[in-house]
Amino acid sequence: MEWQLAWRLFKRELAQGQLMLIVLAITLAVLSVSGLARVSERLQVAINGEAANFIAADRIINSPEKLNPEVLAIADQLSLKHVTNMEFNSMVYAGDKFQLVTIKAVGDGYPLKGQVELANADKVSTQLPVSGHAWYENRLGGLLGFPDSIELGNIELSLSAEISRLPDGGFNPFASAPVLLMRLDDVAATGIIQPGSRVSYVYQFVGEADALKQFEQQAKPLLNNSQRWIDVQTGDSPIASAVKRAERFLLLASLLGIALACAAIGIAAQRYCQRHYDVVAMLKTFGASAKQIRLLFGLHLLLVTFLGIGLGLLGGVLLDLAITQYLPAEIAAYSPPYLRPILLGLSTGLISAFMFSAYPLMRLLAIPPLRVLQRQLEGLQLGMWLHLLLSLGAMALLGYLYSRSIELTMTVVLTVLLLGLLLSILGFVMIRMGHSVGMKTTNPFQLALAGLRRRARQNAVQLVGFSSALVLLLTILALRQDLLNEWQKQLPENAPNYFLVNIAPEDTQPLQAFLDEHHIQATDIYPVIRGRLTHINDEELISGREKRDGVEGRVGISRELNLTYRDSLPPHNPIVEGTFNQADDEVSVESGVAERLDLKLNDTMTFNIDNQSFTVKVTSFRKVQWETLQPNFFMIFRPAALAPFSYTSMASFHLNDEDMKARGSDLTANAAVLQLIQQFPTISVIDVGAMVAQLRQIIDQVSLSLTLVLALVLLASALVLIAQTEAGMATRQRELAVLRTFGASGWLLRAATGLEFALLGAIAGLLAVIVAEFALYMLKTQVFELVVYMHWPWWAIAPFSGAVVVSILGMWRCRQLLNQSCSDLLKAG
Amino acid sequence: MSNNFAQESSAIKVTNLIKKVVTQEGELTILKGINMDVKQGDSVAILGPSGSGKSTLLGLLAALDTPTSGEILLDGASLSGLNEEQKAALRKQKVSFIFQSFMLVDTLTALENVMLPAELAGVNGAKEKAESMLKRVGLGHRLTHLPKQLSGGEQQRVAIARAFICEPKVLFADEPTGNLDSVNGDKIADMLFELNQESDTTLVLVTHDLQLAKRCKRQFIMDSGVLTEANKANTETEANAENSDNTAATVEVC
Repeated sequence: MEWQLAWRLFKRELAQGQLMLIVLAITLAVLSVSGLARVSERLQVAINGEAANFIAADRIINSPEKLNPEVLAIADQLSLKHVTNMEFNSMVYAGDKFQLVTIKAVGDGYPLKGQVELANADKVSTQLPVSGHAWYENRLGGLLGFPDSIELGNIELSLSAEISRLPDGGFNPFASAPVLLMRLDDVAATGIIQPGSRVSYVYQFVGEADALKQFEQQAKPLLNNSQRWIDVQTGDSPIASAVKRAERFLLLASLLGIALACAAIGIAAQRYCQRHYDVVAMLKTFGASAKQIRLLFGLHLLLVTFLGIGLGLLGGVLLDLAITQYLPAEIAAYSPPYLRPILLGLSTGLISAFMFSAYPLMRLLAIPPLRVLQRQLEGLQLGMWLHLLLSLGAMALLGYLYSRSIELTMTVVLTVLLLGLLLSILGFVMIRMGHSVGMKTTNPFQLALAGLRRRARQNAVQLVGFSSALVLLLTILALRQDLLNEWQKQLPENAPNYFLVNIAPEDTQPLQAFLDEHHIQATDIYPVIRGRLTHINDEELISGREKRDGVEGRVGISRELNLTYRDSLPPHNPIVEGTFNQADDEVSVESGVAERLDLKLNDTMTFNIDNQSFTVKVTSFRKVQWETLQPNFFMIFRPAALAPFSYTSMASFHLNDEDMKARGSDLTANAAVLQLIQQFPTISVIDVGAMVAQLRQIIDQVSLSLTLVLALVLLASALVLIAQTEAGMATRQRELAVLRTFGASGWLLRAATGLEFALLGAIAGLLAVIVAEFALYMLKTQVFELVVYMHWPWWAIAPFSGAVVVSILGMWRCRQLLNQSCSDLLKAG
Repeated sequence: MSNNFAQESSAIKVTNLIKKVVTQEGELTILKGINMDVKQGDSVAILGPSGSGKSTLLGLLAALDTPTSGEILLDGASLSGLNEEQKAALRKQKVSFIFQSFMLVDTLTALENVMLPAELAGVNGAKEKAESMLKRVGLGHRLTHLPKQLSGGEQQRVAIARAFICEPKVLFADEPTGNLDSVNGDKIADMLFELNQESDTTLVLVTHDLQLAKRCKRQFIMDSGVLTEANKANTETEANAENSDNTAATVEVC
């Protein structure tokens, strides 16, 4: 019987639109979770996959000697695909020309991720050079005059293809030697590799995420100090930090969106239960047992929940399909399994519907039958703490299921709790402040204020809803904008796409002339001198390896550094402490390396260049953004300090065909660069255009996902607003009836109602800005490492738009009430 | 013996019923020792000004509320000591209701509203019974209408059909014509009394409407928590005086 009755009630209420709000709220929560889980998983896979292309694998072990076979055995056990490569520098000869190259000797299977792009006919190759052949980078061809073959050690290699991009080209403008790709099997015959030769063994691995995790756990401890473990996250890839931030933001925004959708469910559930108070009282009066009523509404709510879940899952799939349309084909091709998003969506629907409904439902079931005679009677006043506990519990559970991070979940839950508490207090105080205003009913403004005050408690609750939605919206908006700006700043439209290195001193002037002639705006030309840091404050530095071997002393940097000199501070290098070099014995140090070396201002540093030592004083620390693709340096000296040493120079510039055309040149960018190579054969040109394009693509994808998250948060906010207005409708109707009866004009009532909603919206907007600024401060300083600033325009926009949106929504909801006649109002009330 | 006989034939027997509530101003006695004996098949009207305690009494008689002290026998069964579940079971078996505001489930059709009590009681053929009840009250053509598609009078007729579907021993009506105009009110009253007579149901009616009250066999007046039977009060008092002081008077002033 209960089942039939529940089904009948469900069917009828659904047809009459009574269940729209709660179904919509559940649908939205499920849709956000399942849709976002799938989209963010897809993007994560895509971002990581794309990023992994930079290292041409999922994981890399870089080793100066052959790797412990045990490590490879573990990889085999875990079914990881792996390939062994070797990298070393050597001279190659072609006729009377010779050039230092970086030999990349690769094994079968290379590259595990990405593709080797060949220059001729825009081909990508899935194969490797055959034995006795090598592929070369364009620069090498240019430098050697495009020979058919080259000599390397004891063998001769045919140059059979030109490489335009290697998947693991990496990005290091100082790696000035062009790359030659050959087979690993051919290396032995060259006779170049002797004991003691400087060589890097590069072991690349790909596989499933779980296997990679296990591999990391088992293999990492077996590595020695000289062996480096590299993945996308820890890699030196310039996109690593962008990826990390994007991931954190996605997760955070999704969690906040879910919290908001949950709030909408909470409000809708309360409304749902309130609407059934009379039904329960009536059923009890006709003798329904507690069990019958429990069963009836349990089943009813179950039907509502499953409808919401079903629609939500469907919406999630559609959302994912829609998004896929806008993703580049190679990313759309990544298809993570549906299982997790579906399970997440299902549990979200169930957990949120039942935990948020539990308290209102308990109150509903406790409605006494006597309510049929005394309409004001409600059920037992159970403690609000129970409701709060259940709601926060649901939020925490969902947050954890979604993020699988206790810290992040706790942060969000505590933030929501604090937000609610703060807004309740603030809202209550602000509305109470209007207490002194009289209760005259001739002026719509005073009537609106009186209305606000009369509903002080209810309004405080509404404010929490309005404001929370606005806070989340503002926070997400600001973070999204800041992150995008940050990335745009890091990667401006005219980010350099060519690096010039190995510029001989005598070429500096002619090069500048060449650049001027072709209207190419390059960065300053930076001299580069390689030197080693030997002492800090006259204390001899030791290497990290020595430290681990038990040698006492201060740890330095064991490799050679690229040093430069100039008169003034370069752009994008803000001083964080001290003053930029004033005297010739002063040095400006990058803040990250200063921290690593534990440097303080006025410490002295001794460098060794070409077996000559000299000492300088640290007088400033600079912040350097490594992702900007500008020439960046750890140490900047005064020209006089490095004058005695020989140097080469470097510069970078942005150039494309449009730029060339705009500058009135007939040449294409490529032709101009080729001319440059021909005119200055010793200068190495590095084309980073492809990499920049790749970076930009990743940023575009991240932007897309941010926009999506924002849209969902917006939807959730609107739902909260509607649910909130819905909840106060009955009381408002009674009041309007009374005021109408006592002769208040339609205009007065409309104006007062509109103003009341507008005031509520304005207060909500103001509170939201205050809390959002605070939340942003915390997030930017603690999580995202972004620059903190006040969003002054918001202080006007948020209250104003709050007033507009809430009054429009409120008036729309009340339009029927406001147009009803007095007797209709009284009857309905 | 006569006492026992009186108990057996009583649909409602109330002894020294007191109801107190605690308000912000302190304890308030709403019902001040009510005694009342209503025979099976009787129709009884309770009149009185607003706030006199009529509805409170109705709630207590119908086992919707619990008295502070005193005893109520409903169709011979004592309500004392019953918990909510037992009271609900008793209501399901013996009583039914008609309300001023109709109390129909606004999302269910007329037919489904009438079926509700029968379904709750697990009666077989609830739908057929409900259909015949609705035909009986002249709404055979409105089975699938929702309450909001019906007039006030029609809604109350649905409520009457719902009230009689389980053939209750006692029917409690709280201002059944209070929301209706006089023409509709009269129609509803006719219908109510007709069905009441046909099914030998005891009718307890709370109303402000003197005309409606006069159609009942007995009239009681509630004033400040004290119940007095109008008209025949004195005669009955005398007649029953010999039996017992407590049960004799349907009127007891505290």
